[in-house]
Formats: sequence, C-alpha cells, structure tokens
Amino acid sequence: MLVGASGSGKTTLLKLAKGLVPIQRGTFRLLGDPVPNAARARLDHRVAYIPQQLGLVRSRSVLENTLVGALWRLGVVPSFFGWFPGDMMDLAHQRLRSLGIGHKAMERVQSLSGGERQRVAIARALMQEPRVLLADESTSQLDPVTAREILGIMRGIADEGVTLLIATHQVELVGGYADRVVALRAGEKVLEANAADVTEDDMTAALSS
Amino acid sequence: MSGTFERSRLFSVIILGVFLWALASVGLLDAERLGRGTLNLGVFLSALFPPDLSVLPNLGRALVETLQIAIVGTLLGFILAVPMALAATRALFPPMVTVPTRLILSAVRTIPSLLWGIIFVVAVGLGAAAGALGVALYSLGYLGKLLYEAFEGVDTEVVEAVRSAGVGRLQLARYGIIPEAGNVVLSQLLFMFEYNVRASSIMGLVGAGGIGFYLLGYIQMLQYSRLMTALLVTLAAVVLIDYASSLVRRVLVLPSEVQAVA
Repeated sequence: MLVGASGSGKTTLLKLAKGLVPIQRGTFRLLGDPVPNAARARLDHRVAYIPQQLGLVRSRSVLENTLVGALWRLGVVPSFFGWFPGDMMDLAHQRLRSLGIGHKAMERVQSLSGGERQRVAIARALMQEPRVLLADESTSQLDPVTAREILGIMRGIADEGVTLLIATHQVELVGGYADRVVALRAGEKVLEANAADVTEDDMTAALSS
Repeated sequence: MSGTFERSRLFSVIILGVFLWALASVGLLDAERLGRGTLNLGVFLSALFPPDLSVLPNLGRALVETLQIAIVGTLLGFILAVPMALAATRALFPPMVTVPTRLILSAVRTIPSLLWGIIFVVAVGLGAAAGALGVALYSLGYLGKLLYEAFEGVDTEVVEAVRSAGVGRLQLARYGIIPEAGNVVLSQLLFMFEYNVRASSIMGLVGAGGIGFYLLGYIQMLQYSRLMTALLVTLAAVVLIDYASSLVRRVLVLPSEVQAVA
C-alpha cells in the first residue's frame, strides 16, 4: 500500500505506472518493460487501473462495463458491433457472481451503491487478466464497513498472485491488508517497510515530520 | 468613485453616438419614409386577413416535404458528423488529425444552410434533394462541433479507465466516449432537428423544395391572404415539433441525468 496525504504524489505515481501521464525524465519499468510514453499509445492490459472515481460508464449496464476489461482480446469488427464470444460472457458473469453482484449484471451502473460500483470496477480489472492492479483511493468514499469488505476482496486477489498497489491517505487501513507499505511526502519516499513491522503512529510520524 | 462614474458616462455617450449614426445610415431616422412604411405595413397586415384556406391541400403536401427535408438532412448530417467529430477529439487523435478536421468543420459551418441550398440546386437541380443536401451539410458543420465538444467533455477518469484496459481508438470511442456522451449527443440531435425544420421551411426560397416555395410565390404574386395560411401552417408545424421534441427529451434524456447527479 502507498500512503500519503493529498498532493503527496500517490495518483501521479500510479498514473506514471499505467502510462497515463508523460514521463519527464528517465524510464519507468513495470513487468520488465518500460511503460509507453506516448499520449495515445495502446496500454498494457496486464496492468489494471482503478481510478479514484472508478471511471465506469454510468449509463451502461454492469455487464457491459465488465466486458470493457475483455476488449483487448476482441478484434475491431466484433467490438464495433458488440459481438462478445460466449466464453467471454460466461467469464464476465462468473466474475460478477464471485464478487457478489451476479444478480445485478443487467442493471445500469448509475443505480448501484458505492460498494457495488467498486465491485464492478474490480470485475472489469480482473477481466484484463492483470498481473498488476493499481487502485487509487478507491475506498476513501465508502463507509468503514464497506471499505474493509472491498480491501478484503483485494487482499484475496493479491493472494492469487496479482501484485496490488493501493493508494490511500487512511493509514488505519494498512494493518491487516498490506504486505509492504510505502509512505510518500511531497513526492519523496519517506518510509518503506513490511506492513507488519510498522504501526499507524510510525506512518503518521513519517508523513508529518 | 467619480472617476469610474465619468468613465461609464463617457461609454454611454459613445455607445449612443454609434447607435444614432448607424440608425441614420440604415435610413430609420427618415420620418417621411417611416410614415410611408407604417402605412404600407398597415395595408399589408390588413391584406393578410382573412387567411385563404383553399390552398391548404397544396400547403399540406409542401409541409410534408419540408419535414422530409429536415429528417433526411438532420440524419445525413449526423451520420457524417459522428466520424468527423471523433477525428476532431483530442483524446483520440493527435493534433495532426484534429486540427485539420476542426478547420474543415468550421469552414463548412461558415456557409449558412440557405447558401448550401443554392449550391446544391446548381449541383443536383431544383427540388427537395438539393434542400436535404443543403440541410445535411450545414448540420454536419454544426453537429460536428457540438459533438466533439461533447466527446471532449467526457469525464477523464472514464477515458483513462477504459484506455487502461488496453483498448484501441475505436474501442475507446465505442465503449467509453460515445456511451458516456450519449445523452448530450441525443439532446443535440433533437435541437438540430428543431433548427432544421425552420431552415427547411425557407429552402423553397432558393428552389430547394418545401413550403418556402409557396411562401415566396405568394409574396411575389401579392396573394397575402394565402401567404397568411402558409405562415400559420409553418408556425403550427414548428410549435408542434418543438413540443414533441421537448417531450422526447424529457423521456429519453432527463431521467438518467437526474440519477447521475443523485
């Protein structure tokens, strides 16, 4: 997990890793390859990214938003006409079911609760068959109970071998979910440790000193 | 304090001066001419009544043709405008593509629909085909701009999230930008149709079909009571279509917008 106050550079770091902001100096390597540095390059589907407001198409169904994660496997013509192969549809339904929102597949995203929207964004990310999942403050607008549910789901994804990088300003959420913790202050790394070895007070001290 | 007061008084005097100068130049300070004009207007207005309803069947056919011109023109313009607007969207294409596309759209937009009508009367001959093409070209220029502005107004997080899934340009447009801008697009299409009904009703002035042919004819032949009928028919059609389109807008567009805010 990546902790830091607002403006400490968490979002910028995630966007650099995803190739969404141009790199000014040096190169950014992820999964062994440099991240593309062109404004409109096709991005690597193995790196999933969940932005702060989730970036779901609100007027479309849960299923359609989930299938966006599978578009990298689909050619131009079938994706233009919306011809998704049956196994892709099955996989999307299966992902939604395992996230507990299988019964809402045909509902529009705008009719869902905050926690349900999180699950749609996670389902979309999983359809990308990611090796890295970047999540930006995705739990900050949820109530504490739902936030912990979502972090629990993300912990489960990490246990299946996906590397997760979660940005948050809530140091109290690190314990119990993170393996490693990195603290950022004004764009500089001020702490890096095993999550088990640091306390909330250590992190708060590092962020404010 | 007194400084700003004097400055605003100076501005008032300048604006009044420019107004009077322009008023005199266009001939509206000529009392004799104004008097004659008022009398003529009175004669004209009294000649409009009672409207001559015997021409209604002809006008009905012409009105249907006017609506056909508006429908074909709007949809043809829309079909051309969507790809052009995508090519003008900076999230999808580099300046090498977006800048020339925008230039073409604004050049098309500079020419009013009536002038496009004249151009197509020359190209394809008199009649509704020229009118429909004229309306289509004007709609292309106008809708093209409205659409690329809608596409660029799409939430950047949606664009970033969909791009992150490793999609190509067409997929980003199809699954991110267009559905997210859908409501705005629909509402602009309806607006364009309303506008085009008005534009189509004067296309006949240049021989490009529709009810405008009768409007011009009745004016030239001084048949003012028939002109009145044509004007009333046009007015009724425009009001009806504005009302219908506001109904469609309320049903299709509003509910999701309300929910999106909530």
